[in-house]
Amino acid sequence: MRPSYTLSDRTVGLLFIAPFVTAALFFMIYPVAEAIRMAFYSYNPLRPELSTFVGLANFEYIFRDPLFWDSFWQATVWTFLSIVFQTVFGVGIAMLLHQALAGMAIFRGLLLFPYIVPTVVIALIWRWIFNPEIGVVNHALQGAGLINEPIYWLSTPSMAMASTIMLNVWKYMPFVVICVLARLQTVPLELYDAAKVDGAGIVRRFLDVTLPQLKEVLIVVIVFRTIWTFNKFEEIYLLTKGGPGTSTFNLAVYSFEQSIANLRLGVGAATGVVMMVMLSLGSIIYLRVSGFGEDERAS
Amino acid sequence: MTRNEFWGHTRRLVSYAVLCAVTFLVCFPLVWAVSTSLKPKSEIFSTPPTLVPHTVTLENYKALITGRPQYFQSGDQQVTSGTTPAQFFMRWFVNSMIVTLGSTLISIVISTLAAYSLTRFRYWGRTVVPYFSLLGYMVPSIIFVFPLFLVMVQLDLTDSLLSLVLGYVCITLPFCMWLMWAFMRSIPIEIEEAALIDGASRLQVFWQVVLPTALPGIIAAAIFSMIVSWNDYLFGRVFLNSLDNLTLTVGVMLFFEGTHVDWGLLMAASVLMTVPMAILFMALQRHLVAGFGAGAVKG
Repeated sequence: MRPSYTLSDRTVGLLFIAPFVTAALFFMIYPVAEAIRMAFYSYNPLRPELSTFVGLANFEYIFRDPLFWDSFWQATVWTFLSIVFQTVFGVGIAMLLHQALAGMAIFRGLLLFPYIVPTVVIALIWRWIFNPEIGVVNHALQGAGLINEPIYWLSTPSMAMASTIMLNVWKYMPFVVICVLARLQTVPLELYDAAKVDGAGIVRRFLDVTLPQLKEVLIVVIVFRTIWTFNKFEEIYLLTKGGPGTSTFNLAVYSFEQSIANLRLGVGAATGVVMMVMLSLGSIIYLRVSGFGEDERAS
Repeated sequence: MTRNEFWGHTRRLVSYAVLCAVTFLVCFPLVWAVSTSLKPKSEIFSTPPTLVPHTVTLENYKALITGRPQYFQSGDQQVTSGTTPAQFFMRWFVNSMIVTLGSTLISIVISTLAAYSLTRFRYWGRTVVPYFSLLGYMVPSIIFVFPLFLVMVQLDLTDSLLSLVLGYVCITLPFCMWLMWAFMRSIPIEIEEAALIDGASRLQVFWQVVLPTALPGIIAAAIFSMIVSWNDYLFGRVFLNSLDNLTLTVGVMLFFEGTHVDWGLLMAASVLMTVPMAILFMALQRHLVAGFGAGAVKG
């Protein structure tokens, strides 16, 4: 006999979900709704009583602001290069770790470690090792004879961009490694044996056996990382504050600066809404490629 | 040695060499930070830089942990450097601990109860909530940090650790919810039914049967929640003002204020900030990997 779901059961069920519903209403739905509402208001946090409805003026403002478009394109470049390098290094390292060798657990632990290092710490270390006069990176490069003049890593626009990309690649490469490694472990060994019998070398085996098997997981990882990387704030702000000048601004930094430095919360919120729209588009792609929730719909 | 054995050995040797080189490159920034933190001031700026310090000193760590003001020579007088961020380091450390553990505890309790309710009882909306929650966790914090700050203003909680605890619940709860839901769903319902038939009450079943089974999921969710809260900078930066109330991430960035940056002290602070996460990582690495598998991860 199956136990029936009695009234008391129902009460337990509702009691258990109540804290979540409360927290979601007050601290998730309300702030996001408020963020959308603020995008249509002129809002100064020091004079909240003066907030007025301005319609689409905030959106007009950002779409006419050259800095918004600069931030948009810089974010695009930043995201694209970060993802490319993360994926290439991530797959490479996952292949290295996917070998039956003694001591592999130690290597794996060390190579995954960057993921849990606080962004503040990485930014501090980056500022130290990439310091133009006393940083170890310039020392090493000069010592090896690769450069004659010190590189101003954080104070020239292109190098600042390169430094933030390196930071981002370094921190999130483990994410790719873990996803790819998990998939590699399920690739049937027979496929490799068959390829070997057919005389395929290491490169051919990678291109013809491994890569097709990794295709699905890579698409999911890439879409997901793209969504996230595009909206990153701390990885840029803590290292360069968006500078030098505004050369490493992305939309998140733009929104933050509009809200904090210019006290235009409405403009910051409008930027946030634009980010959310792009995020939703990305998420739809993500849901499509990952086939998420299909089992639910079927049942 | 047969030809096959020879190739086997060579392959393994090459694999190890490549692995070691890659691991060294990935870990180098962290190794360099540790090395700098152990050097006396004179050696930090020595050329060529030394990887292994000639003189090892714990001065930087002592200064942070004891929080005593630093003295330096001015003419023939010893003068203190006045109030320095280093004096607040341990206080910030404790603050970070409090908000991390507090928010994690709340997130875990709420999400575990909710996930149980959603997977074991039937009511309207029970299939929608987890997906809605997943959506919530895709929204970048930069979008709702200011509205949430205004909520804190209304609750008269600004510049308090409690505001930060609530803020972190807000960013970690959607993910914990999703993860716990996925985990609860995979626990077979038959064990519970058996216990219910044996006359156990719903709450007994939850406490004695479900919770122990769900422990790996709870641990994975807790690790992620702790990493996110400990590493956050944005919320602390927006919510907190007074030196006494800052968390580590926000506080340590203040080390850059003033004319002179003490890199040894800064690297020691970075190392100390990373240690709790490192311990967590080493102790629970396999759960971390399991957490990655359960769904895409915020970061």
